[in-house]
Amino acid sequence: MVKTEHPTAERGHARANREAPQPGTSLPPIQPVLRSLNPDIAPGRNGQNPVHLPTTTPTEQSPQGPAIHAELAAEQHVLSTEDFKLHYGKHRALHGITMQIPAGKVTALIGPSGCGKSTLLRSFNRLNDLIENVRVEGRIRFQGQDIHDRKVDVIRLRKKMGMVFQKSNPFPMSILENVVYALRIGGERRRRVLDEVCEKSLRSAALWDEVKDRLHTSALGMSGGQQQRLCIARAIAAEPEVLLMDEPCSALDPIATGKVEELIYALRGKYTVVIVTHNMQQAARVSDYTAFMYMGRLVEYGPTNSIFVNPHLKETESYVTGRFG
Amino acid sequence: MQIASVYIRGKSHLMFGLCILFTAVILGLLGMVSGYLISLGYKSVDLALFTQLPVPAGAAGFPGGLQNGIVGSIIMIAMASLIGIPIGMLAGIYLAEYSSRSWLAGPVRFIADVQTGVPSIVVGILGYELLVVPLGSYNGWAGAAALAFIMIPLVARTTEEMLLLVPRGYREASVALGATKARTILRVVVPAAFGSVITGIMLAIARVAGETAPLLFTALGSRFLESNPSRPFPSLTVQIYHAAMEPYKEESRKAWAGILVLLALIFVLNVTVRLTMRASGYGARAAR
Ligand SMILES: Nc1ncnc2c1ncn2[C@@H]1O[C@H](COP(=O)(O)OP(=O)(O)O)[C@@H](O)[C@H]1O
Ligand SMILES: [Mg+2]
Repeated sequence: MVKTEHPTAERGHARANREAPQPGTSLPPIQPVLRSLNPDIAPGRNGQNPVHLPTTTPTEQSPQGPAIHAELAAEQHVLSTEDFKLHYGKHRALHGITMQIPAGKVTALIGPSGCGKSTLLRSFNRLNDLIENVRVEGRIRFQGQDIHDRKVDVIRLRKKMGMVFQKSNPFPMSILENVVYALRIGGERRRRVLDEVCEKSLRSAALWDEVKDRLHTSALGMSGGQQQRLCIARAIAAEPEVLLMDEPCSALDPIATGKVEELIYALRGKYTVVIVTHNMQQAARVSDYTAFMYMGRLVEYGPTNSIFVNPHLKETESYVTGRFG
Repeated sequence: MQIASVYIRGKSHLMFGLCILFTAVILGLLGMVSGYLISLGYKSVDLALFTQLPVPAGAAGFPGGLQNGIVGSIIMIAMASLIGIPIGMLAGIYLAEYSSRSWLAGPVRFIADVQTGVPSIVVGILGYELLVVPLGSYNGWAGAAALAFIMIPLVARTTEEMLLLVPRGYREASVALGATKARTILRVVVPAAFGSVITGIMLAIARVAGETAPLLFTALGSRFLESNPSRPFPSLTVQIYHAAMEPYKEESRKAWAGILVLLALIFVLNVTVRLTMRASGYGARAAR
């Protein structure tokens, strides 16, 4: 089943080989294999975030638990999950995910549909709170703070995390009002500030030149690719620290996809980006790190280059080369 | 293969033909009704209808006009809308957005449905018991309240349905940007559904504009131009009803003219609201 979903995966692997060393970034060299057999191998930079918790349920696919590459230990982490489980009613969608998201980097979540990528992403800004009968266990920390803690103001948490959805969803308002929506929420009314932020965000989203003459017309009149870039502009107008993107290009044509990918690539450093994609060329092109998930579990997580060129686990290799199972 | 495809194509043509046929039947009926109304009423629609009060048989100027009824209906429908639309919309918003975790939702929805089905004469009797008897006289407030009572469930259920049609993505995007639920509803969800909610409200207004029975027991009617809702209040429909009961030809012609005026008022209201919405940019949004 998975095989048919990724007919281009073989080519993706080839491209990954060619393209993975991105210009300007020196991806870390492939490090010796670190299977997370030993929980003590890779403590986080601050020494208190073990990369692998021994409590993680072993998976069928990788009886040893997830393979976490050593490079991650050298990163500064902004988000981390600790044995995070999530249930939709009786159905458990995440089976104890333990991973850390490095700050200022682009992290891709890949895996077959239904493996829990969106669920995990939506857990970071607690968007799953909107869904009934969702129950969580374990922890998610954002800048060290447990986001499920009673003291945490979920509104403020969400303001620090921009989100871009699979289906572009501009509001039925003008382009300008869409972009400054977050500022309006914050009570900003000064025309000058709103205009400035609007221009800056649209420029960052590479959309300014296309729409600067029709900022006051309805956003619903834009093309699909423009709408998605508007949604990105809207998310970054709020100056978040983390950008969560759930298959942002899956409804776009190749040209629009290219533009959005360039944009994501340009956002690294400024923002921490977590992007869900099941297009593996895309993961290879835009991300620094890649996490491979399968059936609600994290299987392998490491520098994108290693995941695609030299994965530690057979399952990962099968998936990224399109020979699944 | 060939035969099968002809057969399927034949079936599809048949279906298309039936759709056209029934559309024509409906449109034909509608045309007949309005044609009949217009042919009977148009001769009697004159300026006097709008500028004169009714005159009883035998008196000079008989049969007079319907001025008090037209003005009275507009006032009472406006009052009913001021009460009924906000309450109905708030109830609809509650049902669509807040009720999912509440035990109250089922009962509210059930009552709204029952309320929609209550014969309007029962609404009149209810208004009589609650607002006429205690106040000691038939009055315009009771009439407006009875009309509002009919409007509320209609507005509530259409609002609910239209809000539920708003894509979940809008809500998620707004919440993900740090908006509260209330803000999300007011700034994103309701505006997105506004066009269709307005259509529902227009239907509700049209429905109560034609009501007679509840007004007979509450506002009663009046031969004079009335501005004090604490007194018996005139309305177009009650006047049409009385005119139609009279044995005189002049009176029944006035009734036909009154019906035409009622239809025209509803039509004008609809067109005005739609044009205003389009001018303010809601047309484009509603079109999506
Ligand atoms: N709102 C929901 N209610 C119930 N089950 C859900 C819901 N959303 C997702 N799921 C289930 O959770 C699992 C993971 O879904 P998801 O996170 O959307 O996967 P992915 O994004 O990797 O395709 C799937 O089995 C899916 O059926
Ligand atoms: Mg998904």
